[in-house]
Amino acid sequence: MSFGEYVTSRWDTISLAAAEHALAVAIAIALATVIGVGAGIIGHHSPRVREMSIAAAAAILTVPSLALLTLLIPLTGLGWKSTLLALTVYALLPIIRNTVTGLSGLDAATVEAGRGMGLTRARLLLKVQLPLAWPLILTGIRVSTQMVIGIAAIAAFVDGPGLGNQIFEGLSRLGSVNSLNATLAGTLGIVVIAVLFDLFFSAVRHLTTPRGLRVRP
Amino acid sequence: MFDRDTEGVRIELRALTKHYPGQPAPAVDNVTMDIPAGELVVFVGPSGCGKTTTMKMINRLVEPTSGEIRIGGQDVLSLDPDELRRHIGYAIQQVGLFPHLTVAQNIGLVPKLLGWPQAKIDDRVEELLALVSLEPSTFRGRYPRQLSGGQQQRIGVARALAADPPVMLMDEPFGATDPITREHLQNEFVRLQRQLHKTIIFVTHDFEEAIKLGDRIAVLREGSHIAQYDTPAAILDAPADDYVAGFIGQDATLKRLALMRVADVPVTDTIPDPALPQVSADTTLREALDLMLAHGTDRCGTPTGVLSYAELCAVVGPRPEEAMTGDR
Repeated sequence: MSFGEYVTSRWDTISLAAAEHALAVAIAIALATVIGVGAGIIGHHSPRVREMSIAAAAAILTVPSLALLTLLIPLTGLGWKSTLLALTVYALLPIIRNTVTGLSGLDAATVEAGRGMGLTRARLLLKVQLPLAWPLILTGIRVSTQMVIGIAAIAAFVDGPGLGNQIFEGLSRLGSVNSLNATLAGTLGIVVIAVLFDLFFSAVRHLTTPRGLRVRP
Repeated sequence: MFDRDTEGVRIELRALTKHYPGQPAPAVDNVTMDIPAGELVVFVGPSGCGKTTTMKMINRLVEPTSGEIRIGGQDVLSLDPDELRRHIGYAIQQVGLFPHLTVAQNIGLVPKLLGWPQAKIDDRVEELLALVSLEPSTFRGRYPRQLSGGQQQRIGVARALAADPPVMLMDEPFGATDPITREHLQNEFVRLQRQLHKTIIFVTHDFEEAIKLGDRIAVLREGSHIAQYDTPAAILDAPADDYVAGFIGQDATLKRLALMRVADVPVTDTIPDPALPQVSADTTLREALDLMLAHGTDRCGTPTGVLSYAELCAVVGPRPEEAMTGDR
């Protein structure tokens, strides 16, 4: 069976796996964005929180994904829960880092002027600091997404969703009929998802970057 | 918020002190000072003397360690800091415009916070842009990155004036521009203040700027101690000590000449001489002297007659108190 025929004949399975893969990544990134930007905002004001959260997120990244997923089985079991938890914590570091860098890299005069004009801290954060730091935060989210799309393939190991199932299936039956096709379908599917997410973020970046930051003098 | 709303109100500092933890000496040490309503007072002193810290305590960007601040009789330390700041104009050297907002949104921000209706904000933006000599239709929709340094500083001043605050704090607001633009901004600002009569505290390390703008100058030394607090003419005429004299520099007389205008000097020779270099009534005596030197003559034509070098010298000479009464 050629690769084309394989994909056509297994289209239902592959497209469902791809959709689940993308969904798992999207949910994990959404969670990581909320947690990471929150930690970044707190970390911007408190050096201790900043150092601790970045150190923790960096430490998590050094744990091999296979090991982390295995360690999670006793806690969150097989399947979606462990997958989402693992992907979320892996995605944290670039988001926290870029939030902190984005906020602390703002022109100090802009913040001082805002305080001097009587903006409350909350309003200053929402109306000035976050919009100005947003392009950098979004870059962090984008990096995390690309990273996590690859890691999500490993989730199949704990019976998680996604295209990893195709890859593992192929690898486990190496040499038999369609094993190469299955691995290839999973891998190419992940590449396609990565490209689509990147296109999505580039559109988001274009639509959400304040116009004043895009204009040329 | 303060007893009068848009014209200047009096500011009183009483035993104001800021001692940062871990520092051997207070940054601002026991400063007591009255700033009369509607006057522009310049804090001048070397870097690190505490002048900016003193200023920032007035809008509580720096919280005083001890002491009292009253604006228009109100105890500032008992007010909500954010609410207080909305009623005090604030302009700084780095300007700090919000790059993601248009010029109109930057200027309209405080009025918006104060709950003005949008139509009133729009009118105010127009008015302020015109006031700082920027064409409203051209600049309203621009972003800060599309402006030159001088234009940004003007918008900074316009933004500080937006809610028509009775008090303005300005920390070297023209510092980041080239000398020509700065001179131009200073002149415009003098013109503005004549119309507006705000109470302004203006911080600079440039004594020339202090003389040019200030109704009064407070020369500060380490710890924001007041070395001398008086009108520019009085400080130039009689510096309190060597520290103040050092600040004035070697050319005190020339600086005094720059404070006076041709119209302030009564001329004895009232027959106009068109052959001489001509000055207007508004020309400063320093410029008149410069003109005489440039033309190698000791006289120049004024609208009322002929000003001689001797008359010019007499003004800054033995009886200064008489000449100093000229209206600045």
